[in-house]
Amino acid sequence: MQRREFFRVSLIASTALVSNSATASSVIKPRDNQQVSDISFIEKRPLITHSDRPPLLETPRDAFVNAITPNNELFVRWHMPRIKTHIDLNSYHIYVHGEVKERLYLSVDSLKNDFEAVSVTVAMQCGGNSRSAFVPTTSGIQWGSGAMGCSVYKGVRLKDVLARAGLTENSHYITFNGSDEAVMKKIESFKRELKIDELSDETIIAYEQNGEDLPFLNGYPIRLIIPGFYADSWVKALVNINVTKEYIPYYYMDTAYRVPDNERESETPLKHAKNTKPLELMNIKSFIGYPTSKSKIYAKSNLRVKGIAFDAGSGIKEVLISLDGGKRWESATLGKELSKYAFREFSYGVKMMQKGRVSIMAKAINNRGESQPFAEEIAWNHGGYKYNGIDSVTIDIV
Amino acid sequence: MKLLVIILLMIVSLEAAAIKDVKMTSMTFVIPTEKDTIVIQRNCQWCHSYGYILNQGKQSKEFWHKVVLKMRNTYKAPISARDEVLATEYLYRHFGN
Ligand code: HEC
Repeated sequence: MQRREFFRVSLIASTALVSNSATASSVIKPRDNQQVSDISFIEKRPLITHSDRPPLLETPRDAFVNAITPNNELFVRWHMPRIKTHIDLNSYHIYVHGEVKERLYLSVDSLKNDFEAVSVTVAMQCGGNSRSAFVPTTSGIQWGSGAMGCSVYKGVRLKDVLARAGLTENSHYITFNGSDEAVMKKIESFKRELKIDELSDETIIAYEQNGEDLPFLNGYPIRLIIPGFYADSWVKALVNINVTKEYIPYYYMDTAYRVPDNERESETPLKHAKNTKPLELMNIKSFIGYPTSKSKIYAKSNLRVKGIAFDAGSGIKEVLISLDGGKRWESATLGKELSKYAFREFSYGVKMMQKGRVSIMAKAINNRGESQPFAEEIAWNHGGYKYNGIDSVTIDIV
Repeated sequence: MKLLVIILLMIVSLEAAAIKDVKMTSMTFVIPTEKDTIVIQRNCQWCHSYGYILNQGKQSKEFWHKVVLKMRNTYKAPISARDEVLATEYLYRHFGN
């Protein structure tokens, strides 16, 4: 028996033994095949709708055959129920203040006209994407795997904006927030904080997504884009940039969106890790867009498996496909690399000779040699973050 | 005069292009009706839709109790001690495993 197989078997056995006690944790396949709703939201086609207030929309599996996710299919995730529905660009501005030499009020026009425009093609993914895989259920929205997408963003470098305001020796942290609000003043709104020296040149304030204005539900008129990072800090409807000397504690930084700070980033349901760290760089992931379990595949016909793979920016080196539960793997053909942060398309041609049930698995490997674990090898964490198990789709060959 | 009107019209339409008014789509997330539905109505729809409840799937009573406590302790929902019990029981009755 190979080591990995042994590990899988023993893990399943141990979970079975203790499954009645609250100490057991395991990982299953994330929810799949969820229905899209009958109703569509502004600028979106009907998507899987977890909530309308605030809007939580998930992209169905079949969208993930293309490197670029169309604007009307990109997932939506807001935290606060009060989203500004009247936006007047004549008065809208970002306020840049705090530990800067000069405070700025920047309109969208001034971002477009007074700064160099840059474009990046980036994958965006919610830290809780695929959360429904974690057992026992972890806190938060139980997403399937469609809280991700990839778009071309155009905007200005955050660094250029900060340089215009002028940083001082006391400029260490930045708090960002959008215009969305909680229902009561005593509830903290959604604020995120970044360390200035961790900002990459590619961090931008974007006003265009795939050549159009940002869709309203994806943060119109401007949002932050942090390539390689989970999307929790990609603040939508950005209105406030506050530069500070000291770190300011916020709920959405210090309690939510954190993972255990240990090698496997894991913990047990009864004993949560003491030391935690913020969610930052995404781990490597791939996902099959076609076929889905609803596809009708005929025996002896040519099947082309399609999907996407991405990581935090080292770039995808290889995607492997297995048709026998992960024993043998064969290379898929990769599409063009649009950017090291973008979805990379893959495809794999096969002719299924026999009728019956087949599982197709996809596994990506990046330029740093990192790869994806089997679903059941993923370690549990109580926020249900960073799931990146090998995807599989089971189809009936008829 | 004609020119002035045209220019004025142009300015007005430019201004309009800078304003986006959005009507948010609303969707009904149905929860079962019974004697205590009102407990959920008065406690659980201020900050988000019932979609949040439905999305969790079938769960243990302890799970639902923890959710109710989290709403009160973390998100400052003003849930009375009595409603804490009733809401937990309602949730477990309909979304229990
Ligand atoms: C004062 C505001 C408020 C009230 C009232 C409220 N909630 Fe919440 N609830 C929240 C917030 C904020 C979140 C997290 C939202 C997010 O991240 O999208 C949340 C999330 C949830 C979730 C998702 C799971 C999780 O752990 O985040 C569930 C389920 C939920 N609420 C159920 C309830 C129930 C049941 C009630 C009534 C007993 C209730 N809520 C009342 C604010 C509230």
